[in-house]
Amino acid sequence: MEVEQLLNTVMRVGTMLMSSGAEVYRVEDTMNRIAKSFQEVESVQSYVTATGIMLSINVEGKTRTHIARVRNRNVNVDTIDQINQLSRTCVHQHLSTARIEEELDRIANQKRYSFLTTTLFGALGAFGFAIFFKGNWQEMLASFGIGIMIRCAGWCLTSLKVNDFLNNLVCAMVAAWMSVEIHSFVPEANINVMVISSIMLLVPGLAITNAIRDTMSTDYLSGLARGAEAFLCATAIAIGAGVILYIWR
Amino acid sequence: MHQILTAALGSFLASLGFGVLFNIRQKSKLFVAGLIGGVGGFVYELLLVLHASDLAANFMAAIVFTVFAEISARKMKTPVTSFIVCALIPLVPGGTMYDMMIEIITNDPYEALVLFLKTLTVAGVLALGILIVETITSLYYRLKRKWRRG
Repeated sequence: MEVEQLLNTVMRVGTMLMSSGAEVYRVEDTMNRIAKSFQEVESVQSYVTATGIMLSINVEGKTRTHIARVRNRNVNVDTIDQINQLSRTCVHQHLSTARIEEELDRIANQKRYSFLTTTLFGALGAFGFAIFFKGNWQEMLASFGIGIMIRCAGWCLTSLKVNDFLNNLVCAMVAAWMSVEIHSFVPEANINVMVISSIMLLVPGLAITNAIRDTMSTDYLSGLARGAEAFLCATAIAIGAGVILYIWR
Repeated sequence: MHQILTAALGSFLASLGFGVLFNIRQKSKLFVAGLIGGVGGFVYELLLVLHASDLAANFMAAIVFTVFAEISARKMKTPVTSFIVCALIPLVPGGTMYDMMIEIITNDPYEALVLFLKTLTVAGVLALGILIVETITSLYYRLKRKWRRG
């Protein structure tokens, strides 16, 4: 068995899981399980943080270590699900590294939902928030429309490789500006309800909750990193929306 | 009652929408993720109507939806996170965090601090609720396995 190859493969599993938004303990656990499914491996140590992964594998008394940087991070439940199943198969059937790589390629190349579908469902989410925040029907429809616009703006900026901070800032500006415009045509629609419902698509509530979950399961470093990420994101959104609301007032 | 059902419907739609954004592929899982989100919203609003505090309502909602998520995750053989991230979305203190940043840029640091603490405590009780249920379920299954082995 090629030890280097094994290290690379296990590292790839870790990076893919981490950039799909899996919890730290799950990533460490999966990496350890897959490495240990090879009989030659005497011990494994994996150290996972939100921004990078370190892995040491001991084979025949020699320890080798790899480091990988984790950059792009979004939530992809399907990838987590499939890698989870892959790790179970590894434990039961002792797959070779080539076989695991093949499976990883398949998982990485799997299709995501189309832009149209995610936009419509994102807007549906904003519509749902307007209901949850006790909006009237004008506000619900407006939130749906603003949701579509936010998704489109976000998609344009992402494909232009604008960084996340500016991306969120501009999306929030779009949301606030559209809410102000809609309010001037339809006075029944409350600006705050529209802004908050549509901005929930951008807001890092999940990130802050996951940060605390990481901290509670003693992954302090990742907890801090995710917390910082969440606050930066909230700042961007507030600046974007705040500027527009300030001008309007 | 009407108010509680509206909240449940709203959070169902929000969780469903985010299920697609989070790339849950199978339609059945997507629907279940939405339903669990709806349960969370239902419990939250129900407790608010019964005059519970905001924190207590969030805590109970987290506990109830995690129980549902654990059960469905085992039935559908998928990591429990897939359901939890979607069900969390309607309850998560994103709006509070946004309000806090607005207070900071409109120069009201005291109000911002209050909202900062609110964000942290709400996120904290949600995480705590999830953690408690996850610990109890894993304990339960470990004991059950031991008991079966004798």
